[in-house]
Amino acid sequence: MFQLNKTTQASSLKLTLLLLLLNSFLHSQISTPNKILFNVYSQLQKAKDYSVDVNIKVDLPFIRMLPINAKIFVKQPNKFKVESKSIAIVPRQGFDQLNKVLNDTSQFTAIAQSTETINNVISNLINVIPLQDTSDLVLAKLWVDTKQNVILKSLLTTKTNGTILTEYTYGKYFNYGLPDLMKFTVDIKKFKIPKSIAADINKNIAKTDDKEKKKGVIIIKLSNYIINKGITDSFFKDRK
Amino acid sequence: MLFKSTYNEFIKIAAKPRSYLGVAAITLIVGLILIAMKLDGRMYISLITGPFEQSLAFEGNVLNGNLIAFIILQMLIIHVPLLIAFVTGDLISGEAAMGTIRMLLTKPISRTKILFSKYIAGCAYTFLILLWLAFMAIVVGKWLFGTGDLMVLKSDGLIVLQQHDIAWRFFYGLLIAFLAMVMIATLSLTLSCFSENSIGPIVSTMGIIILFTIIGTIEVPLFDTIRPYLFTTHMAAWRYLFDEPLQLGDVFFSISILVAHILVLLGIAIYKFNKKDILS
Repeated sequence: MFQLNKTTQASSLKLTLLLLLLNSFLHSQISTPNKILFNVYSQLQKAKDYSVDVNIKVDLPFIRMLPINAKIFVKQPNKFKVESKSIAIVPRQGFDQLNKVLNDTSQFTAIAQSTETINNVISNLINVIPLQDTSDLVLAKLWVDTKQNVILKSLLTTKTNGTILTEYTYGKYFNYGLPDLMKFTVDIKKFKIPKSIAADINKNIAKTDDKEKKKGVIIIKLSNYIINKGITDSFFKDRK
Repeated sequence: MLFKSTYNEFIKIAAKPRSYLGVAAITLIVGLILIAMKLDGRMYISLITGPFEQSLAFEGNVLNGNLIAFIILQMLIIHVPLLIAFVTGDLISGEAAMGTIRMLLTKPISRTKILFSKYIAGCAYTFLILLWLAFMAIVVGKWLFGTGDLMVLKSDGLIVLQQHDIAWRFFYGLLIAFLAMVMIATLSLTLSCFSENSIGPIVSTMGIIILFTIIGTIEVPLFDTIRPYLFTTHMAAWRYLFDEPLQLGDVFFSISILVAHILVLLGIAIYKFNKKDILS
């Protein structure tokens, strides 16, 4: 009858324990980022619709304008409208992009990368990689405050709208995931227009480096949230 | 006497069919532009916002009456000189061609005053043409497209002017545009003193404008010295008022160049008209 000697038994036990530990480690790695994002998404879902007063300050190369006030309306999952007497410049990936990224966990892989401290808050950096090649999203990096289940910073890269870095500051509406301040940093291509339609055809402009890509910042201050008051779908219909 | 003579000259301008060509042309051209913008203005907007549209969205009433008025004024300030030269280039030479100048100069009024009365009547006509243009562009434009912020496209970027900050810019801009058109009227009147027919001054005026515009546009070091002193460089000076921050130095320099041209040309016209032999 075959009998394992004590040494072999001990080795087998160690190997089994090691495999169990490795399995649980891997399992925790797989579930934790998704769980974090699920918690964030659940918090965002608390606000089915909302309107908010905004002050938009634009600091972009090639654009000169004063800060303006506007009102923004958002309805889950993807309805967005700006009402303004002035011309408002907002990032294309603005208010509904995160919902689009997080609403279906089967469409992406989430990988925890590291932890970082942002404004004295420890955040988990999670990379979100879409599983489908046809997805507009290329990569999303999310810095998540796991205590409050809010996103402190996001870096989204999409095929259609390029890369945008968004920094969030929260106030009393953090439990809805709604920030008081959003700071967007966007890439701006070189400004080039036919001279014939410019308003200063007699002006000689110094040539700039064609390859130089510039960054611009849009700061949006949000106040007076009105949450879950019921905004109809038809209200968003005349948005272009 | 000067007032009565000016009034008579204005009646003469009003009685000529060619005087209404300018009004009709402006109505037709502006009307067509308004219709085109109503149908396809979004494409023009995309020319302006195109460089930014990958990452930014422009919300609000971008295609509004203020933008339309600005576009129309930009386009037509180039064509309005011809419409003005049609009338003011005919003021002296037209009378010479018709043979009525001999009768005119028998009046108990000096030649200088006769010239001034024609000049003032020509300026009044210029004012009315510009007023009509402003009405069609601003009033009708706002009626069709509403009001809103103005996006001014410049070579180095985009300026967005808030709607409450635009009316005074249009007002003073049109005043400067009026000064530029008065300069054209003065040029054609001066050329009219040298001619016995209407076509010469009109064609000469447009020829000078085109030549100076070419000199002003071509980036050749040879022309760099004279370019700031050409009147064509300052005919679009009204656009300086749509800059932020405002470049008042450039505005006053342009005004001084235009006024200098007017005074010099008037001086030449007075001299020539006083010395002119009336042979017709």
